[in-house]
Amino acid sequence: MKKHSLIIDNESCWGCKTCEVACKQENMAPEGVKLIYVSEDGPRKIDGILDLQFHVNVCQQCDDPPCSDACPEAAIYKREDGIVVMYYKQCSGCGLCIDACTYDAISFDPGKAIAQKCNLCYHRVDQGLLPACADNVCPAHCIYFGDPMDIQAQIAEKHRAWAKEKNGQTIERS
Amino acid sequence: MNEFGYSNVVREMEVYGYDSVVKSHCRMCHGGCGVLIYLKDGKVAKIAGDPDCPINHGTLCSKGIASAQLAYHPDRLTYPMRRIGPKASGKWERITWDDALNTIAERILDYKERFGAESIVPGYGTGRDNEAVIYRFSNLLGTPNVLTAGHFCYGPRIATSILTCGTNPIVDYENYPKCLMVWGNNLTISNPDCYKGEPFSVSVDKGAKLIAVDPRLTKIAARADIWLQLRPGTDTALALGMINVIVNEGLYDREFVENYVHGWEPFVERVKEYPVSKVEKITWVPAEKIKEAARLFATIKPAAIQWGVAIEQQINCADNNRSLMALMGITGNIDIPGGQMLFSPPKIRNVGQFGAHKQLPKEQAAKRLGGERFRLAGNFAIINPKCVWDAIIEEKPYPVKMLFFISSNPLMTRANAREVYKALEKVEFMAVSDFFLTPTAELADIVLPAATWLEMDYIGDFWKRHGHILPRRKAISVGECRSDHEMLNDLAHRVGQAEYWWNSFEGGLDYILEPMGITWQDLKKIDFIRGEVKYQKYKERGFSTPTKKFELSSTLLEKWGYDPLPQYREAPESPVSKPELHKDYPYILITGRRLPGFFHTENRQVPWLRELHRDPIVEIHPEAARNEGIQEGDWVVIESQRGKVKQRAKLFEGMDPRIVSAEHAWWFPEKKEPGHGWDESNINILTDNAYETCDPAMGATNVRTLLCKIYPEEK
Repeated sequence: MKKHSLIIDNESCWGCKTCEVACKQENMAPEGVKLIYVSEDGPRKIDGILDLQFHVNVCQQCDDPPCSDACPEAAIYKREDGIVVMYYKQCSGCGLCIDACTYDAISFDPGKAIAQKCNLCYHRVDQGLLPACADNVCPAHCIYFGDPMDIQAQIAEKHRAWAKEKNGQTIERS
Repeated sequence: MNEFGYSNVVREMEVYGYDSVVKSHCRMCHGGCGVLIYLKDGKVAKIAGDPDCPINHGTLCSKGIASAQLAYHPDRLTYPMRRIGPKASGKWERITWDDALNTIAERILDYKERFGAESIVPGYGTGRDNEAVIYRFSNLLGTPNVLTAGHFCYGPRIATSILTCGTNPIVDYENYPKCLMVWGNNLTISNPDCYKGEPFSVSVDKGAKLIAVDPRLTKIAARADIWLQLRPGTDTALALGMINVIVNEGLYDREFVENYVHGWEPFVERVKEYPVSKVEKITWVPAEKIKEAARLFATIKPAAIQWGVAIEQQINCADNNRSLMALMGITGNIDIPGGQMLFSPPKIRNVGQFGAHKQLPKEQAAKRLGGERFRLAGNFAIINPKCVWDAIIEEKPYPVKMLFFISSNPLMTRANAREVYKALEKVEFMAVSDFFLTPTAELADIVLPAATWLEMDYIGDFWKRHGHILPRRKAISVGECRSDHEMLNDLAHRVGQAEYWWNSFEGGLDYILEPMGITWQDLKKIDFIRGEVKYQKYKERGFSTPTKKFELSSTLLEKWGYDPLPQYREAPESPVSKPELHKDYPYILITGRRLPGFFHTENRQVPWLRELHRDPIVEIHPEAARNEGIQEGDWVVIESQRGKVKQRAKLFEGMDPRIVSAEHAWWFPEKKEPGHGWDESNINILTDNAYETCDPAMGATNVRTLLCKIYPEEK
């Protein structure tokens, strides 16, 4: 079975947060709950040069998801196509998955007293539609959905085009 | 992408059971992006980008996607109201449209008779596709005073580019510039005017060399090959310094300069006054970096400058624009593929013609407020706001009795907000058309409920310079809201302008399109119309300037009594111009960095957008924060000679420690008292609007750089 994954080319992200609102429109997460969010990394000096990055935090659909192992209600399953789905009806709101996630990608909804995370819009994917954030909304075209190998090749190709001289040094971007 | 395709409209309709989808044209900012509006049970169910739109290619921004939350917001004005208590009492009563428009019309006719049409000042905020109707209404009424953001936003680009080369040079992203110099602009956040972040992003991904000119580190600056981190307000000096390098090293386009430029010799003389050693001292940018950037920009073709509003909100407004256009011109990048295009619009009645400027009697035009002082602005029907406040408060040179703001919140967005408040408090009659009861609207006598872009038919981007027009198709109705166009079309009939207007505003749309031989109903059936694209048109017909040349030395500015060549002026309030003041106000304050989700004063009540950015944030360098005893997240006081406000501190290393960067346009719709916290974090409490601090030709208010102190709230 073809693997599905959502991969973000963080280096291309401008920090516009369109993905956050596209996700809200689709999944209607309540205020304060974000299934995808953009965080600012920096500015910080790297080798004397100021750098600023944005990082898009979202469920990584781990191969061996620690959140799934941590969940006492067995509410989190990894599907054959790679999507890790949290079934909200089974969630008791214990919060163990939030602690287990190393990507800070699980939110707590205090209104419903349950955890929430990006389920990779499986309700769309199963109907042949792209996840809301990956459906050509991103002005930087930095959100990819599909087979992870294909995506990594695409991102590497893109980075080759803009890897260039910066302050006398060629910065190789991976 | 395997079996999945982008923007699969058919599948989307099937899966979600939407009733229909309307193609339209967003206007959450200046507009520009093609959108798909999915409808279910007569309501907007989803908004997505239109993949067929040549402007945004299917992508969108946070504001566009959240439009339905704006349209259906519970606090929205949905019927006209009359104030029944004192100003800012928050006491209103519902009235009918007839009652509201008749009241406004009676006032207009009364003031016109008693004080002259010039005593009535209509106004709008930043361009929202309503400027043509507002000017039409005003010119036919006979008032030369339309109060807009035009003195310090976009208007200067139009005015100075018409002077220099006939129209606004637009970056030709379609043909992928190979070098991009982004000057005081964060377009991947703001998507301004004719530009969207998406095509810029694609050009950068294709390997365009990138030069960023910005006092603070943006992601664009971080990604740039060269970042010129200049002292705020010194842009003209930096540009002239780069030109100095290009001229001295013979890197300019000789063919262009010899054949198509007016004023080369005096221009070169002027540029000699800006050697890089001197420019380094003015700008804080190392001479070597200036040279490096100048060489890079001049030796790669096509190259283009992505510019914007930041350099216009300064005393050097006009000359900043003119110096950047000089850079575009002498490097031979004007009107070439991938350079800076002088696009031709489709053959329609343009904004100027529709605006009926020729209908304004000469004797009325001569009364334009500030027209004699700010002659560049005056010649483009633009006025400086302080002229209006003075005319209200001091009744000089004549009294202004009535304001009519249409989608404008000047209490938040104009310099010296305390003075603005005084004027709005004093003015005899004020009407406001808006989406919400804003702090400005709370001071009005009558408020009218304005339609959002989802609720109107219009010819989108009709006023822009990228050569496209796109239909904005009405998808929904909300309450009794009316578009600004329909509202003014109706009001015009009540003040005796009927012969120049239409039974319904669709007639106005037909009038705009008439020269093309099509109607609105025809335009509605297609995605967009584009003007003819031709390169280097100047080779056949010259530039549309008095000399038919690219005017490095402006014959019109000279005629109006100004220096025809660009010059650098020190900011009115800087460590250099005010060393004594600087001792008490030791930081350079810059304002107005762009934020995702907001458009100036707008959208702070839209939940998905406010969630992106909860509080007003002032950035301070960690070193400075340490010195001032400020920690991350503290509410701090920012204070200038004119007043103080609070914002929350964010420690930000990406700028010089001598700079503090505050956000603009903050009010708090969640505060239900009528002021809505207008003076708590409003940075324009701190800014100055004295005439001598404004651009001498354009009247641009200098809101972008001043002196401040900053300290923890409890001190």
